Amino acid sequence: MHRQKILLFGYGNHGKFIAQGLKEDGVAVQIIEEDKGRYEQALLDGFKSVSHIDVTKDDNLKALHPEKYTQLVCMMDDEHLNVFLTLSLRSLFKACYILSISDSIHTTKKLQMAGADKVIDMYEVSANKIHNILNRPIATKLLEEFVTHKNGIGFRELLIPNNSFLHGLMTDDIDLSKYGVLLVGMIDEELSHHFVFITAGVNHKLDTGDTIVCIGEEEKLDMFETLIEKKEVE
Amino acid sequence: MNHIILSIALFLRGSKEYKITKEFVRDILNNTSNPYKKYVDITIIFLIITSVFILIYEVKNPVPEWLDTYDIYFVSFVFSIEYCLRLWVHNDITERIVKEHKDSHFLQREFSPYSVFKEGLVEKVQYMFTPSALIDLLAIFPAYRPLRVLRIFVLFRVLKLLRYTKSINQFTEVLASKKFELLTLLFLLFFVVVTAGIALYVMEEHQNPNIESLFDAIYWALVTISTVGYGDISPVTTEGRTISIIVIVSGIAMISFATSVIVSAFSEKLSELKENRIIEQVNKSKSFLLICGYGQMAKMFLRHYGEEYKNYIILENSRERMEQARKDGYEAIYEDASRYETLSKFNVIHCEITILCLTASDVENIYITLNAKSIATNIRVIARVNDSSMESKFKHAGADHILMPNRVANTMIHTAISQPTMYKAIHAILTGKNIARIDEIRVYECDGLAGKSIDELAFKKAKLLFMGIQRKGEFLFNPLASTKIESGDVLLVMGRTISLEYFKSLYERNC
Repeated sequence: MHRQKILLFGYGNHGKFIAQGLKEDGVAVQIIEEDKGRYEQALLDGFKSVSHIDVTKDDNLKALHPEKYTQLVCMMDDEHLNVFLTLSLRSLFKACYILSISDSIHTTKKLQMAGADKVIDMYEVSANKIHNILNRPIATKLLEEFVTHKNGIGFRELLIPNNSFLHGLMTDDIDLSKYGVLLVGMIDEELSHHFVFITAGVNHKLDTGDTIVCIGEEEKLDMFETLIEKKEVE
Repeated sequence: MNHIILSIALFLRGSKEYKITKEFVRDILNNTSNPYKKYVDITIIFLIITSVFILIYEVKNPVPEWLDTYDIYFVSFVFSIEYCLRLWVHNDITERIVKEHKDSHFLQREFSPYSVFKEGLVEKVQYMFTPSALIDLLAIFPAYRPLRVLRIFVLFRVLKLLRYTKSINQFTEVLASKKFELLTLLFLLFFVVVTAGIALYVMEEHQNPNIESLFDAIYWALVTISTVGYGDISPVTTEGRTISIIVIVSGIAMISFATSVIVSAFSEKLSELKENRIIEQVNKSKSFLLICGYGQMAKMFLRHYGEEYKNYIILENSRERMEQARKDGYEAIYEDASRYETLSKFNVIHCEITILCLTASDVENIYITLNAKSIATNIRVIARVNDSSMESKFKHAGADHILMPNRVANTMIHTAISQPTMYKAIHAILTGKNIARIDEIRVYECDGLAGKSIDELAFKKAKLLFMGIQRKGEFLFNPLASTKIESGDVLLVMGRTISLEYFKSLYERNC
C-alpha cells in the first residue's frame, strides 16, 4: 500500500480517535486545529505535525497546500464550521478528495451541497448498526471484529502481480480456502473500477492488475500475498 | 369431620394439577395480557349477541325449537359454568385451612377449620354481591322456563358485555373521576325538580285536569328541565308558567354544566386512554421494540427502518419531543422508561421485548438498562453509550449489546481513509445492502443442517460465501470441509438476500 497523507481538520471528539487510529496504521497525518486547548492536547498526545490556524481564512488554507494530500478530512466539532470549511476547501481546490463528518440529517445534505466527496453521517451509521444487531447479532459482532482486526481476522486488498498463477482464472473456479483465505470480491480493471462481490453471481476472469479483496487471518493473508507472486503452485 | 376437611385441603394443596388448573382459569378469566383470553372473550360475546338476537326475533316470529334450546340451555349452561369458575378462583379456601392447621399446630391449640372456612365463604358471598357478579348471576336466569317474565333477564346478558368491552369500562372510569361534580349536579337536579314539582302541584292541582298527583307534577318538572318537553302536561295558570320559565332556564344551565363536566373529564383522560391503548396493542404482539428517547439516533433509525418494525413504542420523558415523534408519525407515549411502573406495564412474560436505550445521557441509559433487567432478565437491552469509559458499567448493568455512536462512526471513517477501495465493500456489508450482506444462519436441532458436514452443503449452488461457524462463543474461520455442523451453531455466510433465502429453503424441515 502506498503511503497516504491525510490532512485532518479538527482534533475534537472524532478527530482525536481518527488521528490515533491513523497513526497506528502508519499513515502520515497533518492535524489542523483552531482551538488553542485542543491544539496543545494534540501535541501532548504525541503528534508532531499539528498546526494552529484560523480555518476561516482562505490564505491560511492555501498555505497548507492541500493538493499534496491524498485526502482532506473535515471533522470539526462545530458543524457550522465544518460545512464552511468543506465549502472553502472545495471552492479553492477542485481536485481534492474531501471527506466530512455529519451529525444530523440536515447537515449531511448541506455537506454534500458544499462539495464533500464523501459524507459520513454518525447517526445513520449507528441506526444501521441497531438494525443489524436486531436482525443478526452474531454476524454484526463478528463483522465489526473483522473490520477492526480485533480477532486476527481481517479484510485485505491484494493486487494481482505480473505472472501470478491467478492470472486467467475464473472467479467461480478458484477455491482459496486451502490457503486459509476467502475471496470476497474484486475490482476488475478491464470492465470498470467498481467493486464486485463474489456473491453477485457474475463469473469474472482475473487478470494482472486486478485487485482482489480477501478475508482471512493476518498470517495467512501475508503468506497468500507472497504466494500470488508465484507463477505456479502445486 | 375436621379430619376429612383437613385431608381434602391438604390433598388439594399438594396437587400440582389443581394448582395449575386454578391458576390457568384465573389467568384466562382475569388477566388481559393472557394470549388465550381473547378466545374466551370472543366466545362469550358471541353467545351474548346471539341470545339477544333471539330475544328480539322472538317478539314477532316463532323460534325453531333447537334455537330455543340453544338459547335457554346451552348459553345459560356456559354462563353458569363461567359464573362458578369466577366464584371458584375468587379466593383460596384450602390455602386458609392449611394455614390455620399449621398455626394451631404451632400454638398447640385445637384445630377447627370452620372459622377460616366461614371467612372464605363470606369473601365469596361478598364477591357474589358485587355488581358484575350479580349481572353474571341474573344472566343465567332466563334458563328458568316456567317464568317467561325472566326472559327479560336476557338483557342482563348485554350488561355482561361490560366486562368484555374495554371502552365501556373506560367510559365509566372517566365518569367516576368526576364523581364529585356529577353528584353535585344530580343533587341540584333533584332539588330543582322536586321543588318545581311540588310548586306546580300546589298551584295547579285544582285547575289543571292533567295533574292528578304529585308524581305527575314531578314528572312534568323533569320532562321540562331536561328540555325534552313532551307537552302531555303543561301549565295552565300564570303561576304555573312562571315556574316553567324558571325550570327551563335552570335546565339549560344544568345541561350545559353536565356536558362541560363530562367533556373536560374526557379531554383530561384522553391522552392516558390513548397511551393505554397503544400499550395494549403492542402487548398483544409476540415481540416488540421499546425505543427510549426520541433523539437524533432514534429519528434516524425510524426513518430508515421504521417500516420494517411494525411493533414498537417510543417512550419519551419530554413532552415536547414526544409530540414531535407523534407529529413525525410514530407511536409515542409520554413516559419515563427509568420508572419501574412504566416498564412493568408491558407484557414481559408472553412477549419478547427489546429495549433500545437511545437517550443522550449515559446515566439515564444505564438506569433504564438496570430497570429493565430488574423487571425481567429476558428483556434484551441495546444501549447507547456516549462515553467509552462507561462501557464496563453498561456491561455490568447487563446490557446485551452496546452501541457507541462515536466508535461506530469512527470505524467507518477510519476505513474510508485507510482502505478507500474497500470502503464501499465494507460499507455495503456493514449496512447489509442487498448485494452483499453478511448474515447468520442458526442451526436448530430439528432442521436439515445439523449433522451434515460443510462440503455436503450447497453454499456454491446458492451463490453464498461460507465464512465460518460461531460455536459456543468461539468463531471458527474457514473450518475444514469435513467439519460437522452441530445444532446450536451459527453459520456466518455472505451473499444476496435471495441466495440466503434459497439456501434456507433447501434445508428447511418442519419440526
